[in-house]
Amino acid sequence: MSDVACYLFASSGMDRAAQGVLGAARRLADATGGKLHAIVVGPANEDVSGGAAAVADAVAVVDHPALAEYNPELYLTALADVCQKITPRAILLGNDTYSQELAARLAHRLGGSAAGDAVNVSADGDTIRVTRGVYGGKAVATIGLKRSPAVVWVRARAMEPADGAGRSAGSVESVSPELADDGRVKVVSRHVEAREGVRLEDAQLIVSGGRGLGGPEPFEKLQALADTIGAQMAASRAACDAGWVPPSWQVGQTGKKVAPELYLAIAISGASQHIMGIADAKVICAINTDADAPIFKHCTFGLVEDYDKVVGPLCEILSQSK
Amino acid sequence: MNLVVCIKQILDPEIPARDFRVDAAARVAERGGANLVMNIFCENALESALQCREANEGKITALSVGTDEAEDVLRKALALKVDEAILVSGGESSNPDPAFVAKTLAAAVRKIGEYDVVLVGREAGDWGAGQTGGLLAEELGVPCVSFAESIEPGGSDGTVQVKRQTDNGWELLEVATPLVVTITNHDKNVPRIPKTRDVMQSYRKPLTKWTLDELDVDPSSANDYYEVAELSIPQKETKCEFIEGDTLEDKIGAFAKRLGDVIRSI
Amino acid sequence: MNRSDATRQVLWNIEHVWVMYALLVPTTLIAAYGVYRRVRQWRKGQSENRFDRPVERLRLVVAYALLQLRTWRRAYPGVFHAMLFWGFVILFIATCVVLIDYDFGIPIMRGEFYLIFQSLIVDIFGVLAIVGVLMAAARRFITRPKYLVYTTESAVILLLVFAILVTGFLVEGWRIAATDDPWGAWSPFGNLVANASRPLMTVEAMTSAHWATWWFHLFLVFGFLAWAPYTKMLHVLASTANIYTARLAPIGATLRKVDFDSEEALGIHTLAGFTWKDLLDFDACTECGRCTAVCPANRVDKLLSPRDIILDLQRLARDPVGDFAEPFLGKTDALSAEAFWECTTCAACVEACPVSIEQFPKIVDARRYLVMEEAEFPDTMQQALTSLETRGHPMRGTSFSRVDWMQGLDVPTVADVKDADVLVWVGCGGALVERNQSVVRALVQLLKAAGVKFAVLGREEKCNGDPARRIGNEFLFEQLAQENIATLEKHKVKTIVTSCPHCFNTFANEYPQFGGRFEVFHHSQYLAKLVDEGKLAGKSPLGQRVTFHDPCYLGRHNGEYDAPRQLVQISTKNAPVEMQQTRSNSFCCGGGGGMSFVDEPPDKRVNQERARQVLETVADVVAVGCPFCMTMLEDGINATKGDREVRVMDVAELLWQTVEPAPPDS
Ligand SMILES: Cc1cc2nc3c(=O)[nH]c(=O)nc-3n(C[C@H](O)[C@H](O)[C@H](O)COP(=O)(O)OP(=O)(O)OC[C@H]3O[C@@H](n4cnc5c(N)ncnc54)[C@H](O)[C@@H]3O)c2cc1C
Ligand code: SF4
Ligand code: SF4
Repeated sequence: MSDVACYLFASSGMDRAAQGVLGAARRLADATGGKLHAIVVGPANEDVSGGAAAVADAVAVVDHPALAEYNPELYLTALADVCQKITPRAILLGNDTYSQELAARLAHRLGGSAAGDAVNVSADGDTIRVTRGVYGGKAVATIGLKRSPAVVWVRARAMEPADGAGRSAGSVESVSPELADDGRVKVVSRHVEAREGVRLEDAQLIVSGGRGLGGPEPFEKLQALADTIGAQMAASRAACDAGWVPPSWQVGQTGKKVAPELYLAIAISGASQHIMGIADAKVICAINTDADAPIFKHCTFGLVEDYDKVVGPLCEILSQSK
Repeated sequence: MNLVVCIKQILDPEIPARDFRVDAAARVAERGGANLVMNIFCENALESALQCREANEGKITALSVGTDEAEDVLRKALALKVDEAILVSGGESSNPDPAFVAKTLAAAVRKIGEYDVVLVGREAGDWGAGQTGGLLAEELGVPCVSFAESIEPGGSDGTVQVKRQTDNGWELLEVATPLVVTITNHDKNVPRIPKTRDVMQSYRKPLTKWTLDELDVDPSSANDYYEVAELSIPQKETKCEFIEGDTLEDKIGAFAKRLGDVIRSI
Repeated sequence: MNRSDATRQVLWNIEHVWVMYALLVPTTLIAAYGVYRRVRQWRKGQSENRFDRPVERLRLVVAYALLQLRTWRRAYPGVFHAMLFWGFVILFIATCVVLIDYDFGIPIMRGEFYLIFQSLIVDIFGVLAIVGVLMAAARRFITRPKYLVYTTESAVILLLVFAILVTGFLVEGWRIAATDDPWGAWSPFGNLVANASRPLMTVEAMTSAHWATWWFHLFLVFGFLAWAPYTKMLHVLASTANIYTARLAPIGATLRKVDFDSEEALGIHTLAGFTWKDLLDFDACTECGRCTAVCPANRVDKLLSPRDIILDLQRLARDPVGDFAEPFLGKTDALSAEAFWECTTCAACVEACPVSIEQFPKIVDARRYLVMEEAEFPDTMQQALTSLETRGHPMRGTSFSRVDWMQGLDVPTVADVKDADVLVWVGCGGALVERNQSVVRALVQLLKAAGVKFAVLGREEKCNGDPARRIGNEFLFEQLAQENIATLEKHKVKTIVTSCPHCFNTFANEYPQFGGRFEVFHHSQYLAKLVDEGKLAGKSPLGQRVTFHDPCYLGRHNGEYDAPRQLVQISTKNAPVEMQQTRSNSFCCGGGGGMSFVDEPPDKRVNQERARQVLETVADVVAVGCPFCMTMLEDGINATKGDREVRVMDVAELLWQTVEPAPPDS
């Protein structure tokens, strides 16, 4: 019982997150000396099952008409079903909202323990250990999971993908679980917010705004700046809570975890909970009127100024130098 | 609709980072002079419940598992006019055990009896495990919807409509009651401020206290879910180079140049 | 002709005088009813004791009602108001003289007294009153300043007063001419009318014109008397009563406690909530507009207008079908929540009001209602109060703790030093806002240099509650006050020195309401005392020109204007360069009353207006004595200064610069 399983959404494709989950799971399986099972749930997707097979020893493709679209109860039942057969030591998931929704419940169904938002997963003898930020990022804890299996959702994009070298492709097997939809949870409608270009989580450049902007209009100025340099837009929780921008823009402990090359924080104070979302950014820089704002403690460089005086001219200079 | 809102009391998450200390040996955060407050997502959950009750008929029970000090957060809930407040004490431990908390909450919810929706915060501002809602649903054997921002009665009897956030938007779910939802923040559920008059009256309202015994929960089952092996404060401080300049133009120019350099290097 | 016989024939040409007496009865009745109506209204108010210390109160009446010291602060209206007021006082006395002489038959209207007072002085004051009317009319109809209220009533009153005065002179002139009064020259202006009439009119014509005008004059006077209590002229009575019952304590002690056990609404949102003194305030208003003219919020074009708050409440209170139990909040622009949330509680209005009306406490009363009963107030103020509730300070998001400022200074806390002579109260602004930390550092270093035995509370300190009280959460304020008083008493604190005027005011004027009595100094006062005692001496004067910005809570609220200026004097060897608006007429920095937690609209910022006033001087440094002024002015000056270099420094920092021992030569 030293096998490791990981869970992938067929419909998300073989994105950076899926690669990260596979990579982390592969390394964990190598450490425990077990096999790696990739469990792909949802309508058949060659990309994902093929990509998973390149890393995992076995791929279980769970396809069923009831799984055509994500439904928490059905996905959970299917996943628990497959896991029961594999009896892995650990199960890894990504940190997308759907995976987060399933992880703890999955652990409960399998009699295991869960932990989330892991920046590191390791095996220490019999226990699986998870390192994660706590107290809004002010502290780091290492948590030993006492029950088996250990169900862990990881900061997928921050995890290195597996190196594919010298491994023969794993087996791919279709599994068709018995599923009866009791109809208790129905998805009425899904709405995807329009966002041009890559997803926030995958963006190389991010321009982010906070409460200091004082309203939705200044975000348009920031958008112009972002457009000039080809960046994605994000925001602090305070700006999202104010309703100035959609909730999906929120970056931080309870928002998106991003890992861009450049994160430009404008009128964001840099509360630890916000920093938790940008800990993996390469260069952080900020524009803030308050030289003492905590954000500067995380910046490579910064400008103490009123955003209003800066953003317009900045936009002009950067568009000329392009 | 009968709503139960689970409320956790936590160490003030806004303690300035330089004032935050941990006891590495005991693997707990030091309280220092800081206060305990209602977890911010529980505030959101409470607000969502209040709004649901305002739009429809219903009753709200606030439920907390914690120390006697957690009375404070329940008083606050009473000040915001929940109908009933229940504190379950006796099983507190400085280290977190979401499974034990979920089990205790489930026992309490069963004792409360009839309920349609249990609302919990998506996670707590201290340990941030983000599991209580899911585990509670499993304990109760009911569905769970996470990251919800609002609930309202559904199209047909015995259902609720849940609006919840996803990675790139939102979705609307119709779920048969009873169920558990975990609530996240949204501009619509920013917590309201209680009226002073209601704060004063909250001290005169009854607050029910239950013990683990009364709920038939075995305290020895705590702490077998996971353990905190290490707790430390990360030492990472970047030296920020503040862009200087004689005039505003100079400063902006220099800042633009630094930005440009980074962008080109990608 | 013997001067001792000089007199005139009273009622010379007038018969049927009984008509006058008959008319006096209804006139008096109507006027009395007018006054009675108001008094009845005032009595509806809640109780409040304003009758203690009668001698001091009479002194107020002399100063502010008779000598009208506050009215004079504005030259032009001061002058004409005095002319009108004293003109009518003298004319009234003259009428009494006639009454005594004619009706009571006591012959006093004789001789020198008749000539000098009854003729010459009365004549001169009558003319002064006419000039006063003309000046008032010129302002009302030609220059039309913005702070005035333009009603038909005011215009009619002016016209009426003018007519009464002019007809008086006509009557006098025609009598002198027609009777060939030998003493006519003693009434120079009446004589002027007489001389002008002689070539134009026959004696008969003058006699009948006199008769007609006399009666017309009488009708005007009686009409005016009967009507006055129904108009703004009521202020003559109400304002005198208001001045007699004015607050005797410093302005800073104005805010009342709230009775939390009462079932009535917390705060005030209906007329029924006001005390009789508040209701009297409304009637005392003279519509002069001084309060609105000095209101910083109004100056930057916000909605707030203290004059209109008073006048709108007056109108509602006088509405014959009005209901005292009906909410006034939101009834007019001036009474809207938006306006109430713009007040910085700077007390400029209270200070400016010639008749001792207390405007801003009513604003705080309304805020109390909005906060405590409705929980409706600006988000950012909510955040400040939530922080105050959970963290004991309003500086949401600060990255400092209460002890960070002490680093490297070896500051004794009450835990270390049990027998300190003074407690240095650091305050939230001092401890948690970086710029002010250097002020507190300067202060404790000065105290050390002077050998003062002091200590600080350190982490035991909590906000004194000023923001909570002024934003309107009296409940939270009381809690904080009680906790702090307990802490201070636990450490046996007797004397407090603080660099925050808000803390100063709360300790000095508000904690006594809750049983906390301490000797309190603003740091400028304490440092000035140390200088006087020779314990601190400025060594090298700073070569800077310094202006001083009076903090509202030190100046107007507590009457201290000199101590900080003395420190500037010692530091620079020069008196401060004064701004246009200074001392009791100083202009708020915009940060009081919880306003420092609010983002003002960019084009309506009080601090920028004050910054412009700073920049009008030649000063290189603007000295302050308050952590809020510090941040507000720094921000305002940065936004408006252009190429000018002006620094904002606390008086303690200035002093420390000159006292600080030079670093030892290496
Ligand atoms: C459990 C929990 C989870 C949380 N999760 C998240 C999360 O996921 N993401 C998140 O962001 N927050 C999160 N928070 C909230 C977090 O603690 C902060 O409250 C929030 O990040 C503050 O947002 P802000 O920086 O935009 O606002 P503020 O802290 O108010 O900062 C505004 C900044 O703007 C500056 N400013 C003002 N005017 C100007 C101007 N004209 N020009 C330039 N600068 C200006 C100010 O100096 C200030 O630094 C969480 C909190 C808790 C308790
Ligand atoms: S206290 Fe100051 S801000 Fe408030 S109404 Fe009076 S003058 Fe205006
Ligand atoms: S309240 Fe006072 S200052 Fe204001 S208009 Fe009335 S009398 Fe004048």
